[in-house]
Amino acid sequence: MTKVEAVIQTSKLDPVKDALHEIGVEGMTVLEARGHGRQKGHTEFYRGREYTVDLIPKIKIELVLADDLVEKAVQTIVTAARTGKIGDGKIFLSKVDDAIRIRNDERGDSAL
Amino acid sequence: MPAWRNAATERAKRGIGSKSRHTRMSTKQAPESDLREFYAAESARIREEFAARSDGRAAVHGRTALVESIAMRLWKELISLDTAGPQNFALVALGGFGRRWLFPYSDIDILFLHAGGGAERNLKERIASFSQEIWDLRLKLSPAARTLAECEKFDPSNVEFAISLLDCRYLAGDKSLFDRLHDQLIPKLVARESRSIVQRLTDLTHSRYNKFGNTVFHLEPNVKDGPGGLRDYNLAHWLALIAAMEEQGAWPDEATLLPPWLRERFDAALDFLMSVRCFLHFRHGRDDNTLAWLAQDQAAAEKIGAPDAGSLTASDWMRIYFGHARLIHRVGLQLLEEFPAARPSLYRQFQNLRSRLSNAEFAVVDGRIFLQRQEKLTDSELPLRMFRFMARHGLSLSSSAEHQIEELQPALAAAPPKGAQLWHYLQEILVAPHAAEALRTMHSLRLLTPLLPEFQAIDSLVIRDYSHRFTVDEHTFVAIENLHSLRKSQSKWDQGYSELLDELEQPDLLYLALLLHDTGKGTKPGNHIVGGLEIAEVSLARLDLDPPDRETVLFLIAHHLEMGSALRRDIFDPEAIRQIADKMGTPERLKMLCLLTYADIKAVNPEALTPWKAENLWQLYIGAANYLMRSVDERLRGDEDDEVMTHLRTLTPAAGQKLDTFLDGLPKRYLRTQAASDVIRHLDMAGRLDADPVQVDLTRGRHWYELTVVTLDRPFLFARMAGALAAWGMNIVKAAAFSNEAGVVVDNFFFTDRFQTLELNLPEWERFKTSIHDVVMDKADLERMLRDRLRSEKNTAPKVKVETKVELDDACSAHSTLIEVIAQDQPGLLYRVSSQLSRQNCNIEIALIETEGQTAIDAFYVTSGGKKLAPVHQQRVRTALLAELTGT
Repeated sequence: MTKVEAVIQTSKLDPVKDALHEIGVEGMTVLEARGHGRQKGHTEFYRGREYTVDLIPKIKIELVLADDLVEKAVQTIVTAARTGKIGDGKIFLSKVDDAIRIRNDERGDSAL
Repeated sequence: MPAWRNAATERAKRGIGSKSRHTRMSTKQAPESDLREFYAAESARIREEFAARSDGRAAVHGRTALVESIAMRLWKELISLDTAGPQNFALVALGGFGRRWLFPYSDIDILFLHAGGGAERNLKERIASFSQEIWDLRLKLSPAARTLAECEKFDPSNVEFAISLLDCRYLAGDKSLFDRLHDQLIPKLVARESRSIVQRLTDLTHSRYNKFGNTVFHLEPNVKDGPGGLRDYNLAHWLALIAAMEEQGAWPDEATLLPPWLRERFDAALDFLMSVRCFLHFRHGRDDNTLAWLAQDQAAAEKIGAPDAGSLTASDWMRIYFGHARLIHRVGLQLLEEFPAARPSLYRQFQNLRSRLSNAEFAVVDGRIFLQRQEKLTDSELPLRMFRFMARHGLSLSSSAEHQIEELQPALAAAPPKGAQLWHYLQEILVAPHAAEALRTMHSLRLLTPLLPEFQAIDSLVIRDYSHRFTVDEHTFVAIENLHSLRKSQSKWDQGYSELLDELEQPDLLYLALLLHDTGKGTKPGNHIVGGLEIAEVSLARLDLDPPDRETVLFLIAHHLEMGSALRRDIFDPEAIRQIADKMGTPERLKMLCLLTYADIKAVNPEALTPWKAENLWQLYIGAANYLMRSVDERLRGDEDDEVMTHLRTLTPAAGQKLDTFLDGLPKRYLRTQAASDVIRHLDMAGRLDADPVQVDLTRGRHWYELTVVTLDRPFLFARMAGALAAWGMNIVKAAAFSNEAGVVVDNFFFTDRFQTLELNLPEWERFKTSIHDVVMDKADLERMLRDRLRSEKNTAPKVKVETKVELDDACSAHSTLIEVIAQDQPGLLYRVSSQLSRQNCNIEIALIETEGQTAIDAFYVTSGGKKLAPVHQQRVRTALLAELTGT
């Protein structure tokens, strides 16, 4: 099992979600996030005050998948979230030891 | 005879209290299977009867009798063969069991009452066996063992026990002991501790309400603990009982606790809620009182609590539920507020201060409104005045005032106020700080829908949306509340939004748009914006709003989802910002829509407006506001095929080329901010310039006077007009100056008449216009006029000190340099600033003048020799303006 964490642009949530549904990935956790990589902040002046945003709004999607689905899911996310411009985001993969469905104690892939 | 009775007799023969029997009980063996079977069979019978008749009251009485029969059986078996014995010990039903309200899975509260003196120690094991038997039947027993003396003591940390005594009922044992508790001790306890009991009850109730967002109107309400649930019915009953006991020193006649006009409706509400809770218990197989969506569907199909109704959808059925729950909640709250001991003394002191608010029509006592006249009311406008009073001062209605007002409902429904008269009241209610509570009360007393019948469509309407927590009407009131709460908020983001709210020219229109924004959910759930616009058209026509105001409200309703949707896009993308800004058109509409979006998202549920969203919405707002500011001087081309220009051409076909010539070179902002009728008026004025080179027009709007001058551009023009207005003592709140390619200038000044010169002297209108004309033509001595005015002005110190700022920006416009001046507002300020700009050889292309409280925010787009100002020139202008304004 692999945990996929994708940090993407806010505008790409719906396309990524739809594309993942299409390949059969139903469950995911979506978090409102802020951050930046190489893409730096943004400054606006309003009424003589400076509003600097050095942490840019992003969406973080988390999903845990059976290993055979991971590559397809990653490609799907990349395709749906890419604009080719700086700030498109990143995907992180990490191994997961086990999963437990709280309702019925199912474990492993069948709990996903 | 049922099987268990035989078995009971047999067991009784074995000897009650025998050592062998207690030993068996103490080893926790299962109860006799016949007793369990009996309980199961009787429970099934009750369930079947409920399924057939959905009579909740019969079901709870049936279960009470069943549990009581089991308790009596065990009493005989384990405690005493004689139900009236032993001496100095009694079995008492408390709480729901005491009032014969045992729902299918509710707890069973009992009290083992002892006389004291140590005799209870002999019964300890028997009591344990008795409780064990009931638990083994899988009944949820909550037992308490107390001596009489312990019952008399009030424990503030366990007010629930004192309250449960109010429902006590004798079951078995020493009746004289119970009578001492019931007839002497409880009335004494209540008389002595009523204040503390009610105070704790108030605290518990408010913390319960807080848990449910202080509203009845949840999409999936809890029928027991939620506001308007059965717990509120109990609350009303207990409060009325305590008040009567305190007064009479004895148990009152139950039938007199509530006024007769309320009793019947209250009983009907109780019957309904009892049936619903029984239904939920049977459906869920446990004490789960949440009326979830699937349960609502089933309850509607089975007509739970409403057997005589015709075919019901889930929404129809929920409306019946909310109708009953609303009544119960209102009565409970009122009794709570009216109980003299229910509030801490500091609160009461504050409330009594408010009695100074009393006037000829309304008396204020302990924060509640009473009508001064007690006779039957006939004035159908009185409710509106009362709700306005309520909205302004944050007071609640006394039950007597509420009853009197409710009696006016038919008269109000037959001949409701309409047009400007109604809008005037509604306007004042909407902008008052406690508007939401006043509107809620109006709605709850059925007085809002006679005024705005379109609101009926969303009355208690459940729209199934996982993110929403409240019914549509309650969501609307919460949204209005959210805006008013901005002024009290300490949150960093709220302060920005709060400033925006203070800057609005017509906040009443924003509140009206909020009141109507989701009405379409009642008529066209699939496209509630279209439905809402249809409804709003009718409402606004009834309120007889001015056409521009009507347009603003419709605009806000039509676009109320736009900024929320934009948050799902890249809020820093210039194209996304341009699109939003173009849709809004003017800064005022942008501000209003931003605030509407804030209030609307926040009213979805208490967590919906996360700091993430609040910050993003603010960033989107300032991005779009800056875009509007920067694109302000982009010019129109007379031959453009813009939608507005095409519309204008069809309105004035006779103008032909003249219209295109007039519009050519005017800033795009001109068309965004001027109504079509104004553009045509300005065109007419420009057409008369040959006859008189200065055309002056003066009109009076709802909020301000508007002076429009159309003339050919010349040095010091804007400054001289500003100076003339200052010399007449007028306070300029807003101004705009536009010029076209041919050098024709359209200047608008919006001002208030500080000394009521125009308001009180109609002949002065002509003299005023002539004076403006002469000043512009340089035929009048402006300097002398100003000296005379300023000499007569009293020099009052400003309430708020505003720091003077002068900012110049060369990058925000392609054609001009932006000069932004922020300063303390004072008479003649605009004249001084604009004169100084002219002296510095600046041509004012566009002026946008705003006043926010005591702060003047003036933006000038200036050129010199047709170009932006050179850096050295900018520095000189800045220094000169600062010197002019600060004297340094």
